[in-house]
Amino acid sequence: MLKIVAIFMSLLFAAPAFATAPNQLLEQVDRNLSPDSYETYRKLINIEPDGRKKEFILFTVKKGRDKVAALFISPASEKGRSTLRLEENMWLYIPNVGKPIRITSLQSVVGGVFNNSDILRLDYAAEYNVVQMEDMGNEYVLHLKAKTKTVAYDKLKMWVDKNKILPRKIDCLTEASMLIKTIYFKKTEDFGGGIVRPSVVETESPLYKGYKSIMIFAKIKERELKDEVFTLTYMPNMESLR
Amino acid sequence: MHNKNSPRTTRGFLVSDSSIKHLFCSVLCFVVCNFSAQPALSQDEFSFDLSEIEKKPYHLGGYAEFRPILFGLDRDASLYKLRFYARDEGRVLDEYDFTLQLEGSYEKGVSRFFVRTNSDLEKTYKGWSGETILYEAYLSVKPSFSLTIDAGKKTLKWGKGYAWNPVAFVDRPKNPDDPALNLEGFIVASADYTRSLGGPLKTFSFTPVLVPVYGEMNDDFGDDHKLNFAGKLYFLYYDTDIDLMFLTGDSKPPRYGFDFSRNILTNFEIHGEFAYIKDYKKSVIDQDGRTFETESDVQSYLMGLRYLSALDTTYVLEYYHNGAGFTEGQMKDYFSYINNGYDLYLSTENDTLLKKASNLSEGKYSKMNPMKDYLYLRISQKEPFDILYFTPSMTWIFNVNDQSFSLSPELLYARITNLELRLKGTFIVGERFSEYGEKQNNYKVELRVRYYF
Repeated sequence: MLKIVAIFMSLLFAAPAFATAPNQLLEQVDRNLSPDSYETYRKLINIEPDGRKKEFILFTVKKGRDKVAALFISPASEKGRSTLRLEENMWLYIPNVGKPIRITSLQSVVGGVFNNSDILRLDYAAEYNVVQMEDMGNEYVLHLKAKTKTVAYDKLKMWVDKNKILPRKIDCLTEASMLIKTIYFKKTEDFGGGIVRPSVVETESPLYKGYKSIMIFAKIKERELKDEVFTLTYMPNMESLR
Repeated sequence: MHNKNSPRTTRGFLVSDSSIKHLFCSVLCFVVCNFSAQPALSQDEFSFDLSEIEKKPYHLGGYAEFRPILFGLDRDASLYKLRFYARDEGRVLDEYDFTLQLEGSYEKGVSRFFVRTNSDLEKTYKGWSGETILYEAYLSVKPSFSLTIDAGKKTLKWGKGYAWNPVAFVDRPKNPDDPALNLEGFIVASADYTRSLGGPLKTFSFTPVLVPVYGEMNDDFGDDHKLNFAGKLYFLYYDTDIDLMFLTGDSKPPRYGFDFSRNILTNFEIHGEFAYIKDYKKSVIDQDGRTFETESDVQSYLMGLRYLSALDTTYVLEYYHNGAGFTEGQMKDYFSYINNGYDLYLSTENDTLLKKASNLSEGKYSKMNPMKDYLYLRISQKEPFDILYFTPSMTWIFNVNDQSFSLSPELLYARITNLELRLKGTFIVGERFSEYGEKQNNYKVELRVRYYF
């Protein structure tokens, strides 16, 4: 009897430790994907069912958990556009329009499968809590739940490589567990400065059958940035950061 | 039949038609060569050549545009009579517009020089005409992340409204029929000082602006030989954008305003603007041609929302009250005066009244949406039927005072990189003596082919 009570008590006290560990694992996933503050270049490719492609190149800076901004470098039709995200606030600056306008996370500034929250992604741990963690041998499966209603996907199911602590695949789900899209992380590369992470992120969606969107990373490096970079008045000047 | 997207001014560089035609031919050759020389799509979908992100100190770009337009004329409308009283152009008119917008910049250290020009070449019922206008040319110095100082010709684009901006005190009015078009700026000296803060006030910025009006400098801003001072305070407070702005000086009556914008939900945004103008003067004509001036304090405001549905349909809805606008009676008087002038011309061939009305129509009567109250609704559907880069939309601009409106269906297709195709129709509906009912067209159909380079 004492043995049973001891096991029960140990489980009881172990439970909070188990509850925090998965969230710590998620934070580790975030840090392995990118430093806390950094700059990077990304190429977004939308691929249609017939194989035709459209490409966009973005320069991106991020600071801390809740500030991220991106500048379109090409194609010419998009050059000079910039996007800014502060927590759940998002703006788009179009040079022709000449002033930042508020946009929503579910829209897409590039068309295709990637939406604005995919392009201006914050840390997963900033937006989600781990509600369940499964040990599958070589990998963990994390079940994530959005901290607020304003997050683009209510639930995520994330497959994490146990050795590298990097995501391999993420299912993005609605509150009713309907699959919106699947994100695949591929081609792990050493970017220097201790950053080893997938260089290709591929996205498919049952809502866009036959379409695919790919994000390729280049030149990820840690960078200290002033808070003023992440303001509406700075959006027309983002080119000066490159 | 000028029906330009952006407001026209008299400050264009007058260039001979033949030289503009040569310029357009050169650009067309460049565009065709550039477009046909685009590399075949890469076989390796994961390639990312670092030369693609190399930064150069200079940038050259812009777009070339061809826009054939078909106008269905309303031969009973007042504005048709005003323009065509001495000629018969039939029931349908065609027009061909070519636009070349060039922009360039050069960056060195903390300084950047930017220039944008707009060249138009048009073939209308009057023949060929063209002009080039310097839209922007300014030097920007950025001594720190918090401070930017600009001097030169530039647009400021104040306000949160999509179709109208009553608080855009230092800008030319935009065209609600095509609000995303570039506009010509004014010559200003301005600065932006920005601070990011912790707590509920996340960002604060201050933008002082000097607008000199001397001789030809900013001659269409207001009264001559005056130095005007404008300013804007911006706050990001509890996830709400808030701006407070003012304009003082003697070129225009002083004005004060504020705007705001906030996302209520991830797919639902609201915005608004309010402007108060002191001692606003307005010239009004009665149906007998007598003009008189009124002076009063006026208030203009706008309330709007943007909503994205689960089906990826975007709705933009705005209500605009233009305190400086004409009443229904004042517009009726103006149209009646034109009709009186037209009747006089038919019976005596005396066009004195029509010429006077024509001069008036160059002023406030010809402004975009010159009356008091308007509704704007734009519905656009992103990529229906899984057709990527295809956006059909519908825009409705409704004059609340006289119940006349324009309805513009539009198909936008941008599948080919840097090439944008837009087919747009505009149907105009209104009773006699209403704003839209008296426009010279019943409908308009235009194709816009725009290539960015």
